[in-house]
Amino acid sequence: MKLDKNILKVICKNYRIILITGTNGKTTTTSMIYNILKDANELVITNSTGANMITGITSCFIENYSFGKHRKPRYAVIECDEANVSFFTEYATPEIIVITNLFRDQLDRYGEVYTTLNKILKGVEKTPLSTMVLNGDESLLGDLDLPNKIIYYGFNCSPLKNKKVNINADAKFCKKCKSPYKYNFITYNHLGDYYCENCGYKRPDLKYTLDEIKLQTPEKSLVSIDGAEYCINQPGIYNMYNALCAYSTARTCKISTDYIYDSLKKQQSSFGRQEIINIGDKKAKIILVKNPAGYDQAINTISLDNSTFNLAVLLNDNYADGRDVSWIWDVNFEKLSSLSIDKIMISGIRLYDIAVRLKIAGLPVENFILCKTYEKLVEEIKSCKLDTVYILATYTAMINLRKFLNAKGYIKKLW
Amino acid sequence: MELNICHLYPDLLNVYGDLGNILILKYRAQQRGISVNVSNISLDDAFDSSKYDITFFGGGQDYEQSIVSKDLVQNKKEEITKYIQNGRVFLSICGGYQLLGKYYCTPDGKKLPGLGVLNIYTEGGNKRFIGNTVIHNEKFNETYVGFENHSGRTYINDLEPFGKVIEGYGNNGEDGFEGCIYKNCLCTYFHGSLLSKNPELADRLIYEALSQKYENVELKPLDDKFEMAAKNFIIKRETKNKKDPI
Repeated sequence: MKLDKNILKVICKNYRIILITGTNGKTTTTSMIYNILKDANELVITNSTGANMITGITSCFIENYSFGKHRKPRYAVIECDEANVSFFTEYATPEIIVITNLFRDQLDRYGEVYTTLNKILKGVEKTPLSTMVLNGDESLLGDLDLPNKIIYYGFNCSPLKNKKVNINADAKFCKKCKSPYKYNFITYNHLGDYYCENCGYKRPDLKYTLDEIKLQTPEKSLVSIDGAEYCINQPGIYNMYNALCAYSTARTCKISTDYIYDSLKKQQSSFGRQEIINIGDKKAKIILVKNPAGYDQAINTISLDNSTFNLAVLLNDNYADGRDVSWIWDVNFEKLSSLSIDKIMISGIRLYDIAVRLKIAGLPVENFILCKTYEKLVEEIKSCKLDTVYILATYTAMINLRKFLNAKGYIKKLW
Repeated sequence: MELNICHLYPDLLNVYGDLGNILILKYRAQQRGISVNVSNISLDDAFDSSKYDITFFGGGQDYEQSIVSKDLVQNKKEEITKYIQNGRVFLSICGGYQLLGKYYCTPDGKKLPGLGVLNIYTEGGNKRFIGNTVIHNEKFNETYVGFENHSGRTYINDLEPFGKVIEGYGNNGEDGFEGCIYKNCLCTYFHGSLLSKNPELADRLIYEALSQKYENVELKPLDDKFEMAAKNFIIKRETKNKKDPI
């Protein structure tokens, strides 16, 4: 679709725009912020189906365009691809820009973490009036040379005892002086309360904090944020970050905590993010995986499940998945070998690559079932002995599986 | 039997899945009842050339690579040179490959010195070479596949190449070769991980490393059906438009 970008300037004029970018958690965070605002009776639009490039964002504003004046200000909660921030800020000034985190992500498309950061910052430089809501536990986002007002959120606790950063984490060396970071605690990957002994660079002061993790299940978490208890209806540490980010953004918009509380409690999983689909009498939980940091979090979340379950792993290498599948070797699949898994279904364009990876990770080859088609995969899912199937799928594998399930009548709504 | 593997800078050069090569070497050795020790050698650690049977040197992001290059010259240059000159097994990928050469010249003309163990050099280019790659090694009559992602163009002078490019860019996009071999030092741009789809190569490295210590080494065949299916898938897909597919 070709669009005159100037149109964007006109049609987004009357919105209070909240732009969400970063490597992981964009879609879920966007959905959480959108729901909180809606539950707080605000007028709000969003590009909810992950159409996060400039054309998708522009279409979202066009679809919602209406002539005539609105008395009440309207919000636009916009998920934006990292490389598209600077196209957007060329034409629009977000009230708030949110950056969730920066992990290595499809190196053939985005390049390295510093490249991604610089792309985002190039966009931010065009809008000095935007308030930044940033993950304070992300060492790449501290001490930014920006005139913008910056609000940091982060954790004051961790489920991990270990203070040593994993050898395979992403940004472990001080961005100022290249010395290794030390941590008071690590939450996951390279996120946490970091400091540099050599030059004194450290985590900035946090305005909004998650102070305690009270309970974690494979479905939800109970946490304490700024002294009050919140139930987050989505599992895992990464969703606690998403919720904390949404909370911080909503508070910056002066939304009452009562609305936030109610909204997070009933937050439904978004498209392919722990979405539950019934296939026959089986409950299939689809988890989108796209890079090592997110995959490790997905595996950690699955491992909260103490019962025996089935697993399906789908690997594609289309452009949107990343053409290079090397990254699967940076995922800690070894952790799966200690879980109680019955049937292991393997599918996707690069099924043999993921089969090799799982074999080397120590999973029992005799339980592998290679499914070259979705037809075969769905048959295998239906004939599982156990009720729950976790499906870990890369982006186009998830989309194509959903299309297949839609065509076969297992899901009614495709998007 | 015992196999001692050294992984150089695993905490810094860790983004392209090259760690898989270590996991695969370990798995394939252990399947044959060989015990494996992996030593992670990083910043400020000494590299003792007498301690290891296989040494692995991977690729990283530019930021981390700049940290590595300083430490290499300061702390490890002599011993790594000695190790490679003695014909010990060394596997070097992407950034590691470039760092073994004489220099890396950035696109704006800045020369960054390498270890100079190999008579090769690299020049930065503007277009990044990204994609699945298929090469053929004549000596062993074997076809290898991998994924390249580099902006450096490497020129290997009169060194033996790792293979002839069937599909992809290779060392520099000009001379039709990929990687290079010097004694038992194998250099390549292949990620993937390299050894995940080239099990015959993994076994050759293990065999050579063990044969330097033990007599009559024999490696019993393993079931490589997934590995070979993964390799053949890439060969078939990437060369399907060529006249002479292999």
